[in-house]
Amino acid sequence: MGDYAPVDLTVDNQVTFELNGRPVSAPPGTMLVDACFAHGVEVPVFCYEPRLGPPIGACRMCLVEVEGMRGLQTACSTPVQQDMVVRTDSVAAKDAQDGVLELLLANHPLDCPVCDKGGECPLQDRTYRFGPGRTRFIERKRHFPKPLELSTRIALDRERCIHCFRCVRFSQDVAQDGQLTMQERGAAQEITTFTGDPYEGRFTGNVIDLCPVGALTSIPYRFVARPWDIADTPTVCGVCPVGCNTEMSLREGRVMRVTGRANPNYAHEEGWLCDTGRWGYDSVDAPDRLVAPVVRDATGERTTDIEDAVLAAALVLRTEGRPVGILLGPSASVEEGAIALDLADAGALQGARVARLGIPGAALAGLRALPGAQLSDLDLADLVVVVGGDPGAQQPVAELRIRKARRFGAAVVTVGTRPHALEALDESVRTVPGALAEALAAVTSRIAEAARPVVLWDEADLAVEPEAAEALAAAVGGNPGALQLELGQDVNGAGLRALGIPAAGVLEALVAGELGALLTVHADPLEGPGGGVWDAALAEADIPVVAVATHAGRLTAGADVVLPALTHWEAEGTLVSMNGRAQRVRTGGRGPGEAAAGWELLVALAHRLGRPPAYRTAASAFRHASERHPGLGGITYDDMDAGGVPLPPAAGPVPGEGAPRAAAGEGLPLVVTRHVHGGPVAARSAALAATRWVGTLQLGAATAARLGLASGDGVRLTSPHGSATLPVQVEEGWPEEVAFAPLGAAGYPVEAVLPPDRGAVRVVLDRVAAGVAA
Amino acid sequence: MNAEQLRAYLEPIRGEYAEARSLILPALKYAQTEKGHLTREDLDAVAGATGFSRAYVESVASFYDRLYLRPVGTRVVSVCVTLSCMLRGADEVWEHLCDREGLDPHHGGTSEDGRVTIQEAQCLGYCDRAPCVQVDAEETSGPLTPEDAARLVDELREAPAPEHYWR
Amino acid sequence: MPVLNSVYRHREAGHLLTDLDAYREAGGFRALSSAVADMEPDDLLYVFHRSGLRGRGGAGFPMGRKASFLPKDSRLAKYVVCNADESEPGTFKDREIMEMNPFQLIEGITLAGYAIGAERGYIYIRGEYEHQARILDEAIRQARAAGYIGRGILRSQVDFDVTLYRGAGAYICGEETGLLESLEGKRGQPRLKPPFPAVAGLYSSPTLINNVETLSALPPIVERGADWYAALGPEKSPGTKIFSVSGHVQRPGNYEVILGETTLRELIELAGGVREGRRVKAVWVGGSSVPVLGEQHLDTPLDYESLNAVGTFLGSGGCIVMDDSGCIVRSTLRLATFYRHESCGKCSPCREGTTWMEKILQRIVDGEGRIEDIELLESLFGRISGKVLCALADGAVAPIKSALHMFRDDFVRAAEQGAPRPDPMLPATAAS
Repeated sequence: MGDYAPVDLTVDNQVTFELNGRPVSAPPGTMLVDACFAHGVEVPVFCYEPRLGPPIGACRMCLVEVEGMRGLQTACSTPVQQDMVVRTDSVAAKDAQDGVLELLLANHPLDCPVCDKGGECPLQDRTYRFGPGRTRFIERKRHFPKPLELSTRIALDRERCIHCFRCVRFSQDVAQDGQLTMQERGAAQEITTFTGDPYEGRFTGNVIDLCPVGALTSIPYRFVARPWDIADTPTVCGVCPVGCNTEMSLREGRVMRVTGRANPNYAHEEGWLCDTGRWGYDSVDAPDRLVAPVVRDATGERTTDIEDAVLAAALVLRTEGRPVGILLGPSASVEEGAIALDLADAGALQGARVARLGIPGAALAGLRALPGAQLSDLDLADLVVVVGGDPGAQQPVAELRIRKARRFGAAVVTVGTRPHALEALDESVRTVPGALAEALAAVTSRIAEAARPVVLWDEADLAVEPEAAEALAAAVGGNPGALQLELGQDVNGAGLRALGIPAAGVLEALVAGELGALLTVHADPLEGPGGGVWDAALAEADIPVVAVATHAGRLTAGADVVLPALTHWEAEGTLVSMNGRAQRVRTGGRGPGEAAAGWELLVALAHRLGRPPAYRTAASAFRHASERHPGLGGITYDDMDAGGVPLPPAAGPVPGEGAPRAAAGEGLPLVVTRHVHGGPVAARSAALAATRWVGTLQLGAATAARLGLASGDGVRLTSPHGSATLPVQVEEGWPEEVAFAPLGAAGYPVEAVLPPDRGAVRVVLDRVAAGVAA
Repeated sequence: MNAEQLRAYLEPIRGEYAEARSLILPALKYAQTEKGHLTREDLDAVAGATGFSRAYVESVASFYDRLYLRPVGTRVVSVCVTLSCMLRGADEVWEHLCDREGLDPHHGGTSEDGRVTIQEAQCLGYCDRAPCVQVDAEETSGPLTPEDAARLVDELREAPAPEHYWR
Repeated sequence: MPVLNSVYRHREAGHLLTDLDAYREAGGFRALSSAVADMEPDDLLYVFHRSGLRGRGGAGFPMGRKASFLPKDSRLAKYVVCNADESEPGTFKDREIMEMNPFQLIEGITLAGYAIGAERGYIYIRGEYEHQARILDEAIRQARAAGYIGRGILRSQVDFDVTLYRGAGAYICGEETGLLESLEGKRGQPRLKPPFPAVAGLYSSPTLINNVETLSALPPIVERGADWYAALGPEKSPGTKIFSVSGHVQRPGNYEVILGETTLRELIELAGGVREGRRVKAVWVGGSSVPVLGEQHLDTPLDYESLNAVGTFLGSGGCIVMDDSGCIVRSTLRLATFYRHESCGKCSPCREGTTWMEKILQRIVDGEGRIEDIELLESLFGRISGKVLCALADGAVAPIKSALHMFRDDFVRAAEQGAPRPDPMLPATAAS
C-alpha cells in the first residue's frame, strides 16, 4: 500500500530545501516524509498514513534531523519550509530509527516464519533496512492468547500489534463505524471492538491492508499462500459501478485474495474497498458455478465440451428470417457489448436486436452531459448534495469519500426517500416517491451559491422522476463551478451506454413475436426487474435460448445451450465506472472447468457461424470497438494503463430508449435498493455469509400498525407486474406509507413485482398466514 | 443505569460543553455510582445518552484507572505505593492487607466476601500523610501503620454500603 | 529564615477559607472587582506579564507570555483551563489550595478568563480528589450565586463561568494536551504539537492552560501590583512557591518559600529534617520527573535557575527526601514502575521503553541483574527521552539516568547481588 502521499513536483512556487546534502523542492505544505519519498529518500513510517487524516506522530519511526530545530522531528508532521536543512541519514537520525525499531521489536514475537504477513511486512522490511541486527531484550515478551477472531473474516494477533493506531483511525475517522477502538492504556493497550462484539461493517477489510504488521490478517487468506508463490495483478473490481482499483493475488491462475490498490489511482477511491469487493472472490467457486457447457436438444440434456456446445449454439442461433435478440447483462464488458454489436451489424447475426438490462435513461441525458466529477473532486467541494439512492449500499466506497468531504469541511445534504447512513452526517431532506422535484427546491439555491458543489445523483431514482432530473440538471448547469457524479446502478452500465446499447428493444421485439432466438451475455432477465414479464414473454414466444453465464440461474436452468463464462476475477475486459472512467480488468487467471471468457465465446460463435471477426484478443477487440464507437473516445488498452481514462461525456440520450414508466397500480409506493452486500456476489460468497444482507420488506412503524403487520410477519406484495412474499421488518422513524425492499435478495422476490424498465411501482400488501423466514 | 437516567443527569450540564463528547466522562462516572463498576448495560446507556458508539465509550472508560469494567468490592481500598509512601512503609501496609484478605501480594484483588477490593494506587497526593490509603475516591487516611490500615478495612466491612459509589 | 508574606490567603489568614464570607473577609474578590471595574483585559495581561509569574505546574513557563500567545483576532471561542490534575509523585500543594482556599482559585481563573476574553473556564481535577472536588463544587456554586462568576459578573458586561471537570485516574491527563483530550471526552493521550493549545486547544479553540497554584497567585498580584510580586525573590524567578516536602522528613507538609531566598537544606529543615543520626542521601526536588540530587546539592537555593545549574528542575515543587537508610535502586525502580503504569501508550519509545526499563531494574533488585544491564539501561535513555511527543518519557528517564550517574556504585552492587529491602521510616503515631 502507499504509505506516502503522492507529491506533484511539477507545480509552480515550490519551496526549496536541502535533503541529505542535495537541493530539492516540493510544494509548500508537503509533509517532509512525502517530499523525501518523492525525491527517492525513504523515511520509514508506521503510524503515518495520509489517507487516515492528519498525522498523529505516535510511532516515532520517522524522526529526522532538521538543522536549527531542537531534537529530532517527526517527518510525518513537519511541513517543508524554504531553506530548511534536513538529514535523514545522520548518526542521530539513524540511531533514532534503530532505537524505535529495537523498542518496537522488544515485545514483537519472532514468528515471521508462520506469519501471513511474512515477506510483505513493513515491520520486517524496515527492520532489515533501518533496524538493529540483534535483540538485547532478554525478558519475557508480552503474551496474549492468539489469534482472536475479530469477525468471521479478520483475525487479530495482539502480540504482533505495534499500536500504530491505523486500524482504529480507519474505523473511527474514515468508515466512522465507531467499532474498532484501542482499549486499556500504555503497554496493556489492545485493539478491540466493544467486548464480545464482532467487527462488522461494510469496509472492515481495509484494516488488513492498513496493518503494517501481521496483527490483522484475512481469515479466508490465512495460511493460503506466501508472497513468493503468488503473482499480483492490478485490476478493477467488477462488483459495483464504482470500479475500485484492486490488486489481485493469483496462484496457479486462481485468485487467492483481493486487496486495495492505492497507486497510481490514489485519487479515485484511495485504495479503499468494500468487504464485498474484497472477499466476494470466493463466489467464483460457489456450488452453482457453471463449469461445463450444457446442451438441451431433442436428444435430451447433455453436459459437453465447449466445441460441441458452440456448435449447438450456432445451430440454434441460425434463425430463418427472424432476428436474434442479444441481451447484455449489467456486468457485460465493453468488449462483449462491442462484439455483440458487430455480430448484429454486419456479422454472423446480422439484424440482431441488441439491448442491455438496465434503466432507460432518456430523462438523464441532460445530467449526463454536464461536467462530471471524479470521486477525488469531493475533497475540494464546499457542498456535497446526494440526491436519491443509498450510496453505502449501492456504491459503497463512494460513501467513504463523502464522509471525507465532510471531514474536510464540506456541507453534505442528502435528499431522497430512503433512510441511509449518510443522512446523519450533516443535513438531510426526506421526501416520498414522486415528490423528488419539490424536495430539490430546498437545495437548488444552495447549489447555485456554492463555490465548488458536487452533486451525486442516483440513476434509478432520477430516471423515474424526469422533472427532478431536469431541475437538478438546471441547477448544476447553472453554476460553472458545479460538477455532477452519477451513482450508477449497473457495473458496466456506463460502458454499454458508451457503445450506444439501449436499455430497451429486445423485450418489446420478443413480445411482438419478432425474435427467432435469444442470446444472453451475463444476463438473466428472469432474475431481474420484471422477471415475471420476461418469463411470460419467453414462454409465449417459445424460441431457443443461448446463455453465456458464470453461474446457474433461472434462465440457464431451461436454456437450450449454456456456455460457461469467466467472471471479472478471471477474464480480461474493460469496465466503465459510473462516472465514466474506462478501466481495464486484467487477469492471468483461469476459470474452473471449461469456462471461457464471454468475449471469447462470442468470437467462437462468430467463427462457427461462418463470419469470423477481425480480432482474436481482447485488446484487438477493444481497439476495433474504439475505432467504431465515438463514445469510447478512441482510447486503447495502453491509454487506460493502470489508472483508467475518463470517456467523453455522452453527446445525447442513447437512441432507442425512453424513460421508465410512471407508477402504476394501487397501494404503497415501493422503493427498492440494489444492495451490493446482498446481491449475487455476496449471496454466493462463503466468506461474506455472516454479514449477508437479507431481504425484508421494511415499513415505518405507523404503516405497519395500520396494516396490522409486525416484524417477522410474512407479507405478499402485489403489483400489476407480479407478486412476491417477504418477511416484514418494522423500522422506527422510517417514512410512513412507503414500502422499502432490497434487490438481489435470495430468490429475487422483489424483482418480480417491478416492471422490466425498473419504473416506479405501487404494491398492495397482504399478510400471509405463516411467517416467512428472513 | 439506563440511558434515560443518564440523560436526566446530563441535561443540566450539556450546555457547558461545546461538544457532546465531553459528556462521556461525566456520564461514565455517574453511571458507575450505581453499582460501583460499569456493566455492559451501563456502557450501552452512556453510548445512548451521549450519541457515541458503545465501543468508543468502552475504549474511553478503559483508559482510566478509576473506571471499573469488572466488578469490584463494596469498597475499594487504594494503597498508595509510590515513592513517598514507600519510604514511609506503604509496602508493609500493602502486604499486611493482602495477607489478611488472602490476596495475591502482586495484584491485590477483592476479598472472598466481596466487601473490599485492595488495590495498589499511584501517588494519591497525600504524601504529607504517608503512608496513606484511600477508600473509593472519597476518604484518604494517613499516616497508617499496617495495623491501622487493617482496622480501617475492618470498619469498612462493618459499615453499610454507600448509597453512591464515587471512586 | 525570611519572613514570609504569603501569596495564598488561607496561609496568611491561618485558617480555612472554604466559606465565601471568610474568603471575602480575608480580602478575597477585591482583585476581581477592581479588574472588572477599572482594567481592560490588555492591562490585566500586562500585569501578569510584569509580575514575572512562572507556571507552577512543572514547566515553569512565564504565565504572562503564555497568555499573550492566544490570538487576539480569533473568531473562535476562547477557553481558560485550570490544570488541577495534580498527580506528580510527591506533590500535594494544589490539593491544599483547593481544600482550604477554593475561592482564590476561582478568582484567579476568572481574572485569567477576563484577561484573554474567555467566557468559560474549566477546572480539570484528578478523579482521586473527589473530596476536593466537592469543596470546589460548593465554592463555585456560592461564587455564582454571589455574582462573581456567571453572566455579567459583578454587574458588568463580562460573562465568565466555571465548570469543574472530574478526571478518572490517569497521570497523563496532567500533561496539558492529554488533559484537553480527556476534557473533550477522549482517551487522555497527548497531542502532536504544534499546534499548541494557545492556538488550537480545547475544541480546537485558543486555550490558556495553567496550574492551580499559578492561577491562584493572580488575585494577590492584581491586588498588590505586579511590582510587589516581581520584587519577591530573584529577577527571573520571582514570587513564592509552595514546596510539598515528603519522604524521610519529620514534618512532611507544604512550605511556601520565596524563590531564591531559601536553600534546599533550609527547606528540609523547615520540614523537620531527617531523623537524628541520618543524613540526606537523595532528593527529588521538583516531583519525581526530575534528576535526583544528592547531599552535595543541599545548599542550592530554590529557584528555577539555581536548580538548573545543578542539573535538575524546580518542577512541581514536590520535594521527596530519602535519607541514607533508603535504597536508591529500589526507589528508582519504584519510580520506573510509576511511569510504566502511567505511560499512555501512544508513542512507541515511551510505551516500550518504560516497560523495558522497569523490567531491567526489577531484575537488578531481585538479584538477577547482570553488570551489562547498567550499560543497557544507559543506552536506552537516549532512545526514549526526547524521542516522543510529550514530557512523560523525559520524566521517566530523568530520575533513572541521574540516579545511575550519581549512585553508580549502588547500582553496580545491586547488579551483582540484588538490593535488599530496607526498613521504612514508620509513622510515629496512628492516624486519628
